[in-house]
Amino acid sequence: MNNDLFKLGGRSFSSRLFLGTGKFADSGIMARALAGSGAQLVTVALRRFNRDNPADDLCVPLLKIPGLCLVPNTSGARNAEEAVQAALLGRELTDSPFVKLEIHPNPHHLLPDPIETYEAARRLVPLGFQVLPYIPADPVLSKRLEDLGCAAVMPLGAPIGTGRGLATLDMIRLILADSSIPVIVDAGLRAPSDAALAMELGCSAVLVNSAIAAASDPIEMAIAFAEAVGAGRRAFRAGLMERSAFASATSPLTTFLDSSSGSSR
Amino acid sequence: MTHSTPTPSPESDLWPDDLNPFPLRSRIPHLSARNVQEALAAETPDETHLAALLSPAAQPFLETIAHLAQRLTLRHFGRTIALYVPLYLSDICSGGCVYCGFAADRPRPRHALSLDEVESELLAIKTLGFEEILLLTGERAPQANVDYLDAAIQKASLHFHRVTLEVFPMDTLEYHRLANAGCTGVSLYQETYQRSDYAVLHRWGPKRDYEARLDAPSRALDAGIRSVGLGVLWGLADPLTDALALYRHVRRLQRRFWQSEITLAFPRIRPQAGDFQPPFPIDERFLAQIIWAFRICLPTVSMSLSTRESPVFRDGMAGVGINKMSIASRTTVGGYQTPHPANEGQFIIHDDRDLPTFCRALKNKGLEPIFKNWESLYRTVSA
Repeated sequence: MNNDLFKLGGRSFSSRLFLGTGKFADSGIMARALAGSGAQLVTVALRRFNRDNPADDLCVPLLKIPGLCLVPNTSGARNAEEAVQAALLGRELTDSPFVKLEIHPNPHHLLPDPIETYEAARRLVPLGFQVLPYIPADPVLSKRLEDLGCAAVMPLGAPIGTGRGLATLDMIRLILADSSIPVIVDAGLRAPSDAALAMELGCSAVLVNSAIAAASDPIEMAIAFAEAVGAGRRAFRAGLMERSAFASATSPLTTFLDSSSGSSR
Repeated sequence: MTHSTPTPSPESDLWPDDLNPFPLRSRIPHLSARNVQEALAAETPDETHLAALLSPAAQPFLETIAHLAQRLTLRHFGRTIALYVPLYLSDICSGGCVYCGFAADRPRPRHALSLDEVESELLAIKTLGFEEILLLTGERAPQANVDYLDAAIQKASLHFHRVTLEVFPMDTLEYHRLANAGCTGVSLYQETYQRSDYAVLHRWGPKRDYEARLDAPSRALDAGIRSVGLGVLWGLADPLTDALALYRHVRRLQRRFWQSEITLAFPRIRPQAGDFQPPFPIDERFLAQIIWAFRICLPTVSMSLSTRESPVFRDGMAGVGINKMSIASRTTVGGYQTPHPANEGQFIIHDDRDLPTFCRALKNKGLEPIFKNWESLYRTVSA
């Protein structure tokens, strides 16, 4: 599948599994889960960068992994202004052209604010950012963000951390149908089969954090997700057979109509 | 035992309509195992489920309840424990809280840190590695007023990403000023929501004003403070009534301030100068049940446990309901720069482990201690 590279913001990725880095018990487990997943792009919350204390800085172990694309996210920002400032600081600290734009002002369900997210994207794209906005699974908002010049859209499968899978399946389908930029499902996935389903539908990638970090064995789960994403992508490329409500008969019953004389049509 | 205490009469207190836990409180002794099972299976638990999980009928289910609480804590907070540290700025207090070691009638020399002393305490704490600090005082005093807090917060916010306050209630303009100074959160525990008990426990001073205290979290959030911490001081009054009222207070604020964080702490009355004996003592088993019931019914709310509790209890609760903890705490004024102050603290600390020892205990449980979990940049942007 090496000819199936995922191009995003001027970079190419052979892995379509992106990882969030919060919630792990320690950086050793995080690094091993990352290795198991084969992920080449990870997101790190700016609030977990700690310039004063390397032992508490989530970036330190990540920067030791060669070739890893580290994408700062703006989680903790409550509005567009805070997110823009966070993006600027994140770029300064990581040199990454990417920013995962997260504005979820309600700390309890962490659902993204579409209005502030749109406004922040409108300001970040002209500043040269490859903007990856985390959004509600809204097909109209998705097109609006595409029109602004976002590098991809990241609709949620379900609220962060809930593990409810692709609860927004029907909306994701609508987003995929019209999107000219990559669609990356983010948040809510629980099982590798959720990730496989997203990939079979035609999503370009998935981003997973809780489902791996909160698994009993995060490293094994990372490998399982990598395999599922690979299988889902391969299935999408192979083309799923059409679904039908009826069995298709191997001995058709209507062929006589083709040969019958006297047909007027 | 707390569960056997008689149900208080709803008529004995005038409740704000939306906080009144009656008649639900009166039903708790009659709830059954079936009610508990329903609570454990609820998709979106509400206050009736909280009541069931707090009830005597839930005691045989405590192991199952603990497992569910752990799963929810893991889901929403990961394998992490956020750490913070308190700094008492002043023990000068005009208050008459019968349960507090700082009450005005306790004979003790009083002291408020000078701003230079604040700075050296902050630096000593910063050296330990903390990124979140909780500043505390007694009641409003000339030596510890809003001007003083403003200056102390400005100093603290140069060193710490998160600066929170546990002081006296203020008006909206004062909170606004402190938000601009860099204050990110305010903890204000009602201690008890039961008015008649509240009046007896708070013998004199500004804290006698139940309403002023109850509405202070709303004023703080109105003023731009990002998070408020609520709580009950367990042991002061009927815990079941207070638990339900506390839940209602959280839900009231969550609905009104949907962009703000509402957090909970679970302080239990500890031995202190004055030797107040709590009328409703709560044992560890029941405290754990309360915390887990709240975790199940408010799964996304940050819940902290202080060094009031024992090392064994804290280690057991870490990641099982509790996602945030203080450590290396001093409850004396200052005490980080000068390790052995002469005075007694506000209460006696039970978990006196140092930071490295505590972090090792967390890691042994598969939990990562986190110091920085917020970004001070957000504070400056919106100030």
